[in-house]
Amino acid sequence: MEINDQASGERKLQCDDVNRCFQLLESILDGELGETGKEVLKEKLAKCQPCFEHYHLEQAIRDVLKTKCTKQPVPNELADSIRQMIKESK
Amino acid sequence: MSEVQRRKYSQEEKTAIFDGEFMPHIDSMYNFAFRLTFDEDDAKDLVQDTYMKAFRFINSFEQGTNAKAWLFRILKNSFINEYRKKSKQPAKVDYQEVETFYNSDDVDYQSTTDLRAESVKDMLGDEISNALNALAVDFRTVIILADLEGFTYEEMAKILDIPIGTVRSRLHRARNLLKDQLKGYAQSMGYNTDEEEED
Ligand SMILES: [Zn+2]
Repeated sequence: MEINDQASGERKLQCDDVNRCFQLLESILDGELGETGKEVLKEKLAKCQPCFEHYHLEQAIRDVLKTKCTKQPVPNELADSIRQMIKESK
Repeated sequence: MSEVQRRKYSQEEKTAIFDGEFMPHIDSMYNFAFRLTFDEDDAKDLVQDTYMKAFRFINSFEQGTNAKAWLFRILKNSFINEYRKKSKQPAKVDYQEVETFYNSDDVDYQSTTDLRAESVKDMLGDEISNALNALAVDFRTVIILADLEGFTYEEMAKILDIPIGTVRSRLHRARNLLKDQLKGYAQSMGYNTDEEEED
């Protein structure tokens, strides 16, 4: 989800309800709110600096976890040994 | 297994489900196991054990439902019930302990992190990986499930046997702890972590 940055001067520097806003932003980032989340998100990011910053940090964290976290290569023989064990147990 | 036994599959059906729906998840299963145990042999044992159980209890799996979530739940339970007992390394934080201390779904979102999105984006895979591995197992688990494997809150609730509200709050705490770890890296790398200054 790519959200266009707007001039930060237009945003208020204090969030009215950090607990509710941040929880909402995190649910949206986790894909829990679907289409309804997008409208709310647009409004929050345009109007509130703390929400804006929190959203971008949380998004960056999710992105690096998804794209950079090193995958442990699966040992070659693992799948075969599982199939063998199943065969023997039948 | 608490699932209701629905019906009995024939041998052919069992093999088809096992090969078609269970085995394709072996990569994710092994990675989850490795991030829980930090040991190749233990991870292999855990995955093998999980697949053996999956086969033994295959009649309680409803075809067409989420096989990956079903397998992850078995793996997580095996890890808690069996593996953890014989584990050489005593874990610092126990699943039960965490439940007691952190079972509240009320989270204070007020906590401020002076970590910048830009410095997070610059981090290396190893730094991210190490930061994740440094978290206590409960917190590590929710991040693996949500961010590495893409499970929904609802699926995570089923895998972990906890309410959705607890999934949400635990995930929030986990990411905050991860941010603390990353902040340490950012500072040691000389990235700007001070929010007051602009690039
Ligand atoms: Zn706000």
